[in-house]
Amino acid sequence: MTADIGVCGLEQQNDQRQPAGENGAAEIQIEVRNLTKKFGRKLVLDNISVSVERGKTTVIIGPSGCGKTVLMKHFIVLQRPTTGEVYFDGQRIDHLGERELNSVRTRFGYLFQEGALFDSMSVAENIMFPIKQHFKGVTWRQVEDVVKAKLAMVGLDGFQNYFPASLSGGQRKRVALARAIALNPEVILYDEPTTGLDPIRSDIINELVLKLERDLGVTSVVVTHDMRSAYKVGDRIIMLHNGRIIADGDADHIRDHPHPTVQQFINGQVSEDDLAVLRMSGAVATSQFLPRDFQQ
Amino acid sequence: MIASLGAKAVQDVVDAGRFGRFTWRAATTSLRSCLVRGTFPLVWSQVNVIGVRSVPVIMITGAFVGMTLAVQAYDQLAGMGLEEHLGVLINIAVVKELGPVLAAVMLAGRVGGALTAELGTMNVTEQIDAVRSMGTDPIRYLVAPRLLACLLLTPILIMYADVMGVIGGALVSFLQLGINSRAYWNFSAAGVELWDVAIGVVKGFFFGGAIATISCYKGFNCKEGAHGVGQACTDAFVASFISILALDFALAVIFKSIYLTFWPIKSLV
Repeated sequence: MTADIGVCGLEQQNDQRQPAGENGAAEIQIEVRNLTKKFGRKLVLDNISVSVERGKTTVIIGPSGCGKTVLMKHFIVLQRPTTGEVYFDGQRIDHLGERELNSVRTRFGYLFQEGALFDSMSVAENIMFPIKQHFKGVTWRQVEDVVKAKLAMVGLDGFQNYFPASLSGGQRKRVALARAIALNPEVILYDEPTTGLDPIRSDIINELVLKLERDLGVTSVVVTHDMRSAYKVGDRIIMLHNGRIIADGDADHIRDHPHPTVQQFINGQVSEDDLAVLRMSGAVATSQFLPRDFQQ
Repeated sequence: MIASLGAKAVQDVVDAGRFGRFTWRAATTSLRSCLVRGTFPLVWSQVNVIGVRSVPVIMITGAFVGMTLAVQAYDQLAGMGLEEHLGVLINIAVVKELGPVLAAVMLAGRVGGALTAELGTMNVTEQIDAVRSMGTDPIRYLVAPRLLACLLLTPILIMYADVMGVIGGALVSFLQLGINSRAYWNFSAAGVELWDVAIGVVKGFFFGGAIATISCYKGFNCKEGAHGVGQACTDAFVASFISILALDFALAVIFKSIYLTFWPIKSLV
């Protein structure tokens, strides 16, 4: 990988893309150019340009509400840009109609934060869903075999007849991952795959991400604020803050990044501003009325 | 204040445009889906939810409408010595107006609320986004089967309400009010035309379309959380109810014009 790959227009941002440690040009699979997204008057993404390399795992980190998920939803055009462009394999896709987008989306797998499993369907039916939607000629036996294979990949073979409500959080995420890979996608998008899981379950998910990259050669984009997970799975880490990219590089580059916000985030430190707000809240609490103050 | 009124007006126009676009997509997608074999299992599963489970409540509604009409109208007609014409009044009112409208209102509450709650929950738990992310059109997969089932079943359910309304009115007239059954049915047969029954059934087609479209739209656009889903259900029922009344008025005017065009002199009962 070279220093000039993967990023377009980052010179407008606060950071330059750093090498991830390999030589040779990498192929760009997903690219957004000058992306701005507003919800009403609220600016969520501010003129972002970024690209994702084929066969690599790109991790997007940042504090809650900074626009990570919104950015990732633009990769598959689940959100439309207010301004800017989205490209997949060199083809502009953000202006396509829903029907044209459907064929593009079958090349993606999307793991939603809460799994987004269909709660009226069993585990097997959830995984069958995309297969039955896009492969009309397949037999029941073939579909069952695929479901079994996908569940085996995530370590849940035998759970075919369970319903999502009867699964634990980690199991739901693994089933959702099995559904995301049902169509053998070229790209898998993970939205906070380890959030809400205990450290061991989190590591199982991390290993699955790595396994899918290794075995299937998929391109992965992982949105997370779990730094352990980011360091483990990421070939490249991008940090968003206030709708802009403030850091972009491999794990070592991020660890040594001089930007104070990056250091606060990766070390999990509260800022002086936040502390000041907390102290002020404490002062307010001590001056608040108690029930006895209202008694005559 | 003027600025906030203006912003509200702009928002209303934007919402109306969104609803219009959603309705157009739902209608065209449903038409296309009719030609696809894979649609029928989806419609069939909705037939059970929307149709079969609504039959008891619709029949009860129809029966009570007919029975109440009989009790309320009897005194006026008896005062003029026209109590044997009670069947005409009850049956026309039931098949033309009250049966379709009250059955549709009942469906807006029962079916519309369920559709909005189901789709709203799917929306806030990202299940609709999940459908889209897997390359499937949620309008085709989620809205079209529900719209087709409502279009198909509302007229049928209205016929159930009509039948029960007629039976309920007749039973009260014979057993409680002591009206001669032969005269009751003779006057009814002379006074109620196939046209009257057809109007009620055709209205059901429009009511069903309005209930399904509004409920699905509200579900697809509901806000986050339990409160958002609850609010969407309330909005869907209120909007469906007003639409039913507005459609009823518009269709009454249209059907009357059509009737007067083809049969300018209607025989007086």
